[in-house]
Amino acid sequence: MAAPDELFCWEGDWGLPSVSTDCLVVLAYAQFAGAPLKLRKICNPWRSPGGSLPALRTNQNETLSRPSDIIIHLRKQKFNADFDLSAKEGADSLAFISLLEEKLMPALIYTFWVEPKNFVEVTRRWYAEHMMFPLNFFLPGRMQSRQLEKLRLLRGDEHLEAGEELEKELYRDAAECMNLLSQRLGSHKFFFGDSPSSLDAYVFGHLAPILKCRLPNGKLQQHLKSLDNLSDFCSNILLLYFPRDGREPPAQKAAAAPEAGDFDNVPNKRRKQFLSALFALGAMLSYALLTGMVSIQHGHQEALEEPPDPEHIGAHEEEGDG
Amino acid sequence: MSLAAEAFVSQMAGKIPFIHVGNQVVSELGPIVQFTKAKGHSLSDSLDDVQRAEMKAYMELVYNMLLTSELFVQWCDDTTAGEISRPRYSSPYSWPLGNILAYQKQWEVRRKMNAIGWGRKTLEQVYEDVNQCCQALSQRLGTQPYFFNKQATELDALVFGHLFTILTTRLTSTELAERVKSYSNLLSFCRRIEQTYFEDKKLMKD
Repeated sequence: MAAPDELFCWEGDWGLPSVSTDCLVVLAYAQFAGAPLKLRKICNPWRSPGGSLPALRTNQNETLSRPSDIIIHLRKQKFNADFDLSAKEGADSLAFISLLEEKLMPALIYTFWVEPKNFVEVTRRWYAEHMMFPLNFFLPGRMQSRQLEKLRLLRGDEHLEAGEELEKELYRDAAECMNLLSQRLGSHKFFFGDSPSSLDAYVFGHLAPILKCRLPNGKLQQHLKSLDNLSDFCSNILLLYFPRDGREPPAQKAAAAPEAGDFDNVPNKRRKQFLSALFALGAMLSYALLTGMVSIQHGHQEALEEPPDPEHIGAHEEEGDG
Repeated sequence: MSLAAEAFVSQMAGKIPFIHVGNQVVSELGPIVQFTKAKGHSLSDSLDDVQRAEMKAYMELVYNMLLTSELFVQWCDDTTAGEISRPRYSSPYSWPLGNILAYQKQWEVRRKMNAIGWGRKTLEQVYEDVNQCCQALSQRLGTQPYFFNKQATELDALVFGHLFTILTTRLTSTELAERVKSYSNLLSFCRRIEQTYFEDKKLMKD
């Protein structure tokens, strides 16, 4: 059997397998369809084959980035979660996915990337903490400008800025979308019958971050929590298909539990400390060598902090030239 | 005036559709529908909640796939852009303003396509998307005269507007129109609306 395809996606947090909507959609679909994927959870989009996350590297070394492309690829490999859908249900899927992308996604982008408080206190902090040096300095900012540009292009307004009016409009559309989804779901377990389909994956991917992530400006979350069937839908999927990730991280904000919360970060922090110490040592050593405080004798190296001696400086310069 | 005619007129007007009532100007389909609803004319009152959810979803499908595909074919395909879209867009203006504005519009549309992930799509893939969208619409329509019950709703108006535009706008290739024509129930849907609501005007040529 051919080796499984490799899926690169963002790491998870807040009880979710991944923090990014697109990654969640792909992960959920793969679980629903039973597709065996080699999962690589990373925090560095530059290490992904496509330069962005999610990215699927297929057996033929092809890279796919858009969730819809990845799902189509999995379907071609006979991992099809929509197999049991009738023609009309398939058409409804397409329609509701479009609804999500037109009405809910702009609000998602706004609430995570544009709303000032949310971005500074949660989004930027999360990405800066999870990315490695030196990406954590500039990549979150760059991601934000890309998301803002995307929002501007979606709304057709070049000079869109964060503000109350925009927030009201976007949240109103999002609330309407959530209401419509809730009406369509009714009291069923999944949108079409008893087994989940691609529409369930898309809805889960868009709603789960809203439900789980605690944001300072949490109007979307409030509205979602008021729709019981949608909240239960998300929790159900987490319980059934992502049991390991579904555990809430203990006291995610408390510094008292760094071990449990920062378990993934310990290697990074140690590496950072080690690298900084090495860098400092190297800087001091090279300074000492260049100013002649330390002299290199043939064969072995002595790191002596002696005050500069005219004789020694002369000897060192000769050796430096030689 | 029926909503289908409203939407049709506004689509054919070309750019932002609008209606002028008294001293009020209302533009784009969504606000126009709200406006007429406030005046007491609404086509979707008889739908139940689930049907209304489906109607809104299908309208978004049309905006998301059909409208984006139309823009793509018009502006991101070099032959169509060069032979038809740019000359048409720049025609009201004198040279070189027309040229500059046309290229600016093209660049703007291309940026939008990149932002939503359509930047790397080929024309074939876009035709396939149109095909999928028409297939979904065709399946939803089935053998019914309209999408919901026996009465036209905003969705019928929107679908008619877009399909009619695709069928009658001259492009460098007829592939887009052919794809739509391959769904016979959509074709007869368009003909039926034309005959029912625009019977005194001969709009569709065979």
